[in-house]
Amino acid sequence: MALLEATNITKIFGGLVAVNDVTFTVEPGSIVSVIGPNGAGKTTFFNVLTGIYKPDKGRVVFAGQDITGWRSDQIAALGMRRTFQNIRLFGNMTVLENVLIGMHVHLHASIWSIIFRGRTMVREEAKARNKALELLSFVGIADKRDELAKNLPYGDQRRLEIARAMAGDPKIILLDEPTAGMNPHETAEATQLIRRLRDERGITVILIEHDMRLVMSISERISVLDYGSKIAEGDVQAIRTNPRVIEAYLGKGAAGQAA
Amino acid sequence: MAVDATVAPTTARRSLGEVLGVVFGPVGQLLAFIVGSAASLSLIVVVLALILSPAQPDMMQRVLIILPQVIIDGLVRGFLFATIALGYTMVYGVLEFINFAHGEIFMIGGVVGATVSFLLVSAGTLESVPPLVFVLLVILVAMAFCGILAVTVERIAYRPLRNAPRLVPLISAIGMSLILQDLARLVMTSTPLGFNARYQTPNFGQPIQLFTMEVGERSVPVILIPRDLIFIVAATIMLVVLNYVVNATKLGKAIRATAQDMPTASLMGIDVNRIIALTFLIGGALGGAAGALFGLRIGTVNPYMGLIPGLKAFTAAVLGGIGNITGAMVGGVVLGFLEAFVAAYLSIFTAGNFSGAAYADVAAFSILILLLIFRPSGLLGEATTQKV
Amino acid sequence: MTTSTSSQSLWQRVTAPLSSGPAAYGFLALYVLACSVLLLTNPRTELSTDIVFVLFMLSMLVAYRSRVAGWFKVVLGVVALGVVLPYFGTLNPFYIDVATQAGIFTALALGLNVVVGFAGLLDLGYVAFFAVGAYAWGIFSTPQISEINPAWGPVDPVMFYPFLIIGLILGLITGVLLGLPVLRLRGDYLAIVTLGFGEVIRVVANNLDRPINITNGSQGIRAIERPPLIIVDQIRNLGIVADDNRLYQLFFYYLVLIIVLLTVIVVARLKHSRIGRAWEAIREDEVAAVAQGIPRVRMKLMAFAIGASFAGVMGVVFASKQLFINPPTFDLLRSINILAMVILGGMGSIPGAMLGAIIVTMLDLQILPRIAAVLREAQAAGAPIPRQFDPTQYQRLLFGLLLVVMMIFRPEGLWPDERRREEQHEVEIADEELEADKAAK
Repeated sequence: MALLEATNITKIFGGLVAVNDVTFTVEPGSIVSVIGPNGAGKTTFFNVLTGIYKPDKGRVVFAGQDITGWRSDQIAALGMRRTFQNIRLFGNMTVLENVLIGMHVHLHASIWSIIFRGRTMVREEAKARNKALELLSFVGIADKRDELAKNLPYGDQRRLEIARAMAGDPKIILLDEPTAGMNPHETAEATQLIRRLRDERGITVILIEHDMRLVMSISERISVLDYGSKIAEGDVQAIRTNPRVIEAYLGKGAAGQAA
Repeated sequence: MAVDATVAPTTARRSLGEVLGVVFGPVGQLLAFIVGSAASLSLIVVVLALILSPAQPDMMQRVLIILPQVIIDGLVRGFLFATIALGYTMVYGVLEFINFAHGEIFMIGGVVGATVSFLLVSAGTLESVPPLVFVLLVILVAMAFCGILAVTVERIAYRPLRNAPRLVPLISAIGMSLILQDLARLVMTSTPLGFNARYQTPNFGQPIQLFTMEVGERSVPVILIPRDLIFIVAATIMLVVLNYVVNATKLGKAIRATAQDMPTASLMGIDVNRIIALTFLIGGALGGAAGALFGLRIGTVNPYMGLIPGLKAFTAAVLGGIGNITGAMVGGVVLGFLEAFVAAYLSIFTAGNFSGAAYADVAAFSILILLLIFRPSGLLGEATTQKV
Repeated sequence: MTTSTSSQSLWQRVTAPLSSGPAAYGFLALYVLACSVLLLTNPRTELSTDIVFVLFMLSMLVAYRSRVAGWFKVVLGVVALGVVLPYFGTLNPFYIDVATQAGIFTALALGLNVVVGFAGLLDLGYVAFFAVGAYAWGIFSTPQISEINPAWGPVDPVMFYPFLIIGLILGLITGVLLGLPVLRLRGDYLAIVTLGFGEVIRVVANNLDRPINITNGSQGIRAIERPPLIIVDQIRNLGIVADDNRLYQLFFYYLVLIIVLLTVIVVARLKHSRIGRAWEAIREDEVAAVAQGIPRVRMKLMAFAIGASFAGVMGVVFASKQLFINPPTFDLLRSINILAMVILGGMGSIPGAMLGAIIVTMLDLQILPRIAAVLREAQAAGAPIPRQFDPTQYQRLLFGLLLVVMMIFRPEGLWPDERRREEQHEVEIADEELEADKAAK
C-alpha cells in the first residue's frame, strides 16, 4: 500500500490556480522528486501536503489515514516532517534544543511532573538529549550542539533542519530544495545524507530540487509540475527523454532538437 | 528576461466621470451602510418594544420618542469613530502596525482646539469671530498640529524599529501613548487651560427643528443642534476629500502601492519613508480634526479622553476590515449606531438595571472580540492567507 | 557561552575577581553585612536609608550572579531576606511594606513573563486576572456575600488558605475562557483584545452593584478579612510585644516571600522543559514550530492560563493585605505597570522580571516620592519648577519613556535571558542514572 496518496489536489489563491488537479503517490521506502520551473507550484504542493494550506479540492491519505484538512501539527505528529526552502530554524535556540523541539510529540512529561521534577521527567529529558545527540552525529554536527542555530554556517543549518525533522521519528520527510545555494562539494555531501536517511533509517523522502544532477542520481521516481499541473511522471530515464518536460524547462522548439 | 523599456505610460487622464465614480463609489457604500444599520437597529428596538409592550403599555411610546435623537447621536458617534479609525487603518495598511498612540493624537487635537478657543477668548475677539471662521480655525490648527505631531512620533518612536519583531514597535507605541497623555496633562495643568479644558465658542444659533413627530397624542419636535450639524458636515467633507486623495491622485496611488508591497514600491521609485510619513500626516490630521470636533460638541476635553474612543475606533477599523479605507468609515458608522442604540435602550429594556452608558463600552469590546473570532477580515476585508 | 576576552570593559575587569573565587565569598558576605548593619542602625525613613535599602536589595542580585557555591547563595538569601529584612521591618514598617509590595509584583511579573516573555503573547489586560482573585476573596470574606444572597454569610477567615488555591483556579478558568477564543489571533490583535477585556472587567466591576449587588460598584469592598495568625500566641509567649498590625505585616511579608520562591521554581522548571521549549519555538517562528508537531493554540493557552493563575493567587493575597479594593485598583495603568517590569528586566528572563518588578516598585513607592520631596525643597528655595509638577503624579510619563527607550535602545532588557550551564549539569547526573539502569539490565 502506498505511504502517501494525494488525489486531485487543487489549490487556488484568488484567481491563481497554484496547484491544479495533481495526483501523486509515494511508495514506502522510496526517494521521489518533484521538479519543475520556478513558480510551478512545488512548494505550494508541499504546503498542502503538510497542512499549512487546506486544499480547495482533492484528498490526502497518509499512512492509511485521510489527513485532508488536518492541522499542520497533527500531520507532523502522525509522522510527516519537512524542511523549508528558506531554512526556518529557531535561531536563538541552541542546536541541541532545535532537535529537542523536533521531538516534542514524543515527550509526554505532564505539567506536574515538570513542576515537581519527577523521575520520569528527568529520565525522559535525558533520553531525549541522548537521542538528539545521536541524530546530530548522524548529520555530522554533534560538536556544535551548544551553538546558537543562527550562528551555524549555511550548510550546517541545512543539516540541522534535517536532524530536527528526523527527531520526530517520521515515516516520511519532505525536503524543500535541500541543496539550494550549496557548492558542488556540499551538494555531494547533502546527497549522501539524503541517501543515508532512506538506506540507514528507512525514512521515505520526497524532494523538491533544482539541481538536476542530484535529482537524476538519487530519485527512483520523478514528478514534473508546470503551471500547477503535473505534466509528467516516471523514472529517471522516462523523465529525461520526455518532450513535454524538455519543453517546460527549455521552451518550445528545444524539445525537437533534443529528440 | 528582456524588459521592454519603451513602454509608454498609458495612464491617460481619467475623465471626470471616472473620478467621481471612484470618489463617490465609497461614499455611496458608506451611505448604504448608514441607512442600513440605522434602519435595522430601529427595527430591532421596535420589535423588542412590541414584545415588551403587553407588560409595559408605554414602552412603545418611550422607544419611539427618543428614536430620531438616537439616530442622530449614532451618526455623530459613527463619524467620530470613522474619522479616528482612518488613522489606524491607513497606518496599518502601510506598516501592518497598530499605532496605539493614535487615540492620544485625537486627544491632543481636542486640546489644541481648546487652546485656540482659549486664546481667542483671552484676546477678547471670540464674539467678533463669525462661527464658521471659528470652526474652520479650530479644526485647521488642530489638523496641522496633530499631523506634524504624528509624523514626529513616527520619526522618533517607530521608524528606528521598522524591521524589529512585531511586538517591539507596538510596545513602543503604547509607551508613546502614555507619554503623550502625561505631557498633555503637564501642559494643561501648568497653564490656565486646566485638567478639564473648556471650549468656549461663539453663539452657533438656535437648534434646528427638522420635523415634528406624532407619537400617540404627543407631538415631539425632532431637533438637530448646530454642534451636531457642524460635526456631521465637517466629517463628511473630510471623508470625501480623503477618498479623492487616496483613490484619484498620484499620491494616493503611491500610498496604495506602498501598502500592497513595500519593497516593490521602493524599487518603482517611490520614496517609502516619505509615503509613510505622509500616511502618518494624513491620519494624524484627521485624528486631530476629530478631536477638535469632539471637543466642540462635548464642550470640554481632558488628557485621558483618548484611550476609549481610540480603542473603539480601532474596533471600527477592524470591523470594516483593517487596511481598508472605506471599511474604516463603514465600520465607524456601524459601531457608532450600535453604541448609540445600546446606550439609549439598554436601560429602558432592562428596567434601569443595566446602565446603557456604562455597558455601551462593554458592547463595543464584545463586538471586537466576537468579530476577531468569527470574521477577522471585517465587513469589507478580504481573507488573507499567511505567507510561508 | 560566548566570552569575548578582548572586549572586556573596565567594569568587567574590576568585578571579575569579585564575582568568582574565594574573594567573592568575602566580598558578598561583607557587602550584605555592611548593608544590614547600616539598615538596622538607622531605621528612619529618609534618603540615606532609601539608598541603603536599594543597595541591600541589589546585594541579592549580585549574589545571584556571582559564581559562588549554591549553598552560600542560599545562606545569604535566607539571612538577608528571611532575617535581616523582616527584623528591619519591625523597626520601620514602611520598608517592609515596600518589600511586600515588591514581592507581590515580582510574582505578577513572573506570571506575565510566562505569557509575554516565554510564549510571546502581548497581554495588556493581565490585571483582570488579578482582579478576579482579589474580588473573589473580597466578596466571600466580607458581608458583601450577603448582598448576593441574604442566606449566605462570609466564610471563616481561615478559609484564606484554601482560597489561595481557589484564586489560582479562578485565574486559570478566566484565562482559559478568554484565551480559548482569542489565542488564534495574530499577536497585535491579541494585545488590543486583552486590553479591551481588562477594561470590560473593570467596567463590569464598577457597574455590577445592580441589579444584584455583587461588587459594590465604585464604592469597592471594605474591611476584607485577613487570615488568623497561627503562631501568634507562641510569639507572644516568647515575650515579644507586637501589635496585630506589625505581626500582619510580617505575616504577609513571609507569605509573599514563600509564594515568590514557589513561583520562581515553577516558572524556571517550566522554562527548561518540553513546554518551555515549545513556547520559545512558537515565539520564534510559529510556522516552523507547528511543523514540528507543536499544537500552537494549546501551548499558547497553557501559557496564558498559567500566567493568569499566578495573578489569581496574588489577587487573593493582595485583597487580604490591602483590606480594601475598588475598580480603579485594576485599571489599565496597573497592567502597563506590570508589563513595564517585564520589559525593563528583559522579556523571557526570570531574574530580569524579578529585577524589573523590584526596580519599578521601588521607583513607585520610594524613589519618585523622594524626588518629589527634593523638588519641593528646591521649589521652596526658588528653583524654577512648575508648582504642578509632582513626579509621583507622572507615572505614565515615566513608564511611557521607559517603554519607548527600552524598545529603541535595549529591547532585550536590563538582564537578558542567558543560557546557563546548570541544566547541563543536571542532565549529566541523569545520564549517569541511565547508564546505571542499562548496566543493571
